[in-house]
Amino acid sequence: MNVNDISYLSMSSLLILIIPIIIINYKLKIKINKKIFYSIGRMVIQLSLVGVILQYIFSINIPFINFVYFIFMIIVASFTVIRSCNFEINKFIIPLLLAFIIPNVIVLLFFNGFVIRLENLFNAQYIITIGGMLLGNSLSGNIICINNFYNSIKQNKNEYFYSLALSGNRIEALTPYFKSAVLASVNPTMAAIETIGLVALPGMMTGQILGGAVPLTAIKYQIAIMVAILIARYFSAILSILFTALKAFDDYDILIF
Amino acid sequence: MIEFKNINLRFDDKVVFENFSLKINKGEKILLNSPSGKGKSTLFKLLLGFEKLNSGEILFNGKRLNKNNLLYFRKNIGYVSQDVDVRKDRVWNLIEEIFSYKNNRHIKISKHYIIMNLQYFKLSEDILEKEVRQLSGGERQRLGLIICILLNREVWLLDEVTSGLDEDTKEIVVDYVLKQNKTILIISHDRIWCKNDVVRIEEW
Repeated sequence: MNVNDISYLSMSSLLILIIPIIIINYKLKIKINKKIFYSIGRMVIQLSLVGVILQYIFSINIPFINFVYFIFMIIVASFTVIRSCNFEINKFIIPLLLAFIIPNVIVLLFFNGFVIRLENLFNAQYIITIGGMLLGNSLSGNIICINNFYNSIKQNKNEYFYSLALSGNRIEALTPYFKSAVLASVNPTMAAIETIGLVALPGMMTGQILGGAVPLTAIKYQIAIMVAILIARYFSAILSILFTALKAFDDYDILIF
Repeated sequence: MIEFKNINLRFDDKVVFENFSLKINKGEKILLNSPSGKGKSTLFKLLLGFEKLNSGEILFNGKRLNKNNLLYFRKNIGYVSQDVDVRKDRVWNLIEEIFSYKNNRHIKISKHYIIMNLQYFKLSEDILEKEVRQLSGGERQRLGLIICILLNREVWLLDEVTSGLDEDTKEIVVDYVLKQNKTILIISHDRIWCKNDVVRIEEW
């Protein structure tokens, strides 16, 4: 590893470049200054805590604890979906947890076992980093997917009812919304896969190259992780709809939230 | 055949139905005639289970509307909604999709039969290749009616199927509908539906 560590002082030097933003916002009355400080401050605290915890977890590297940490990340992701989709916690937390856990755990273990061929599938260095990438992507994918699905049913309520009247079957009436939600969720990943490396070097590659890996190794990892992300995101999106839909409709097929 | 028995329905603080009852016999053609906002369209939605009653009951062929019988109601009632809210797709794809549904698969439709219907209602057969959003209001209404005819269910609920049509076409539609050996409920502001002695008018 030949990465230059960053000193705290030099890290804070970036704030100098924030000053013009603050001044411009103030002059133009763009009310975002408070928010900028809040979000940067929050990030610093959050990442510092995570840094301390990860430092510790990496040093002890106990498979069970690594896995628990991964599950903890999944729980946070599920709550994030609940909040951003305005779901009731009691009703939807279990379906969402399952929708995250099933595909992400399977893809992660497959990746560690068959792609990287780790001896210890639960090695912190891999399970937390790779798992985090898969999960972060499933998270944004599921938010898009769920919002798209339920909003388009709400916005096209009459259309949905009309299909019910024409068919009588809830699944058939919901299929078009399901299809378009899954597409909406996967499309950004497809776009990212297509343009990767041309528009921007992806974070993982950047990290590995900074960490001393040769670009070719970094690229192999990147290709593998992109495919893994697509798979996890796809199945997580599908499951998030299937599982939440079980609780989102009443006996009469009417959406109830 | 269909009976609304002492139904009550309110949305928030607006009373839509208060102890409302209506009995419809097999084969009757009924025009629901009441001012806007008195719940005519809602009555159709209640019958299809898209709105739920506060109290009272709805019977269809002796079956009470509840979650067990809901499918029976939806499978045996043909519905043309006010704006014919079909999905935005090519008309032919849409028809194919509708007749691929499990509950409709037994219905044999041929392109020839569909075209015959289109012609009968003065629609050109190019319409099958058009996108739904390209259709005019009147074209959609006739498309909705044709789908309803093809589904061949024993009860029809027609919500404003003639409002966007010219006088001649209105006459064709009214004439066709009233000849059917079906139980048909009609919501319409067109006086043309009353110019005969087949239609029973219900006002409230």
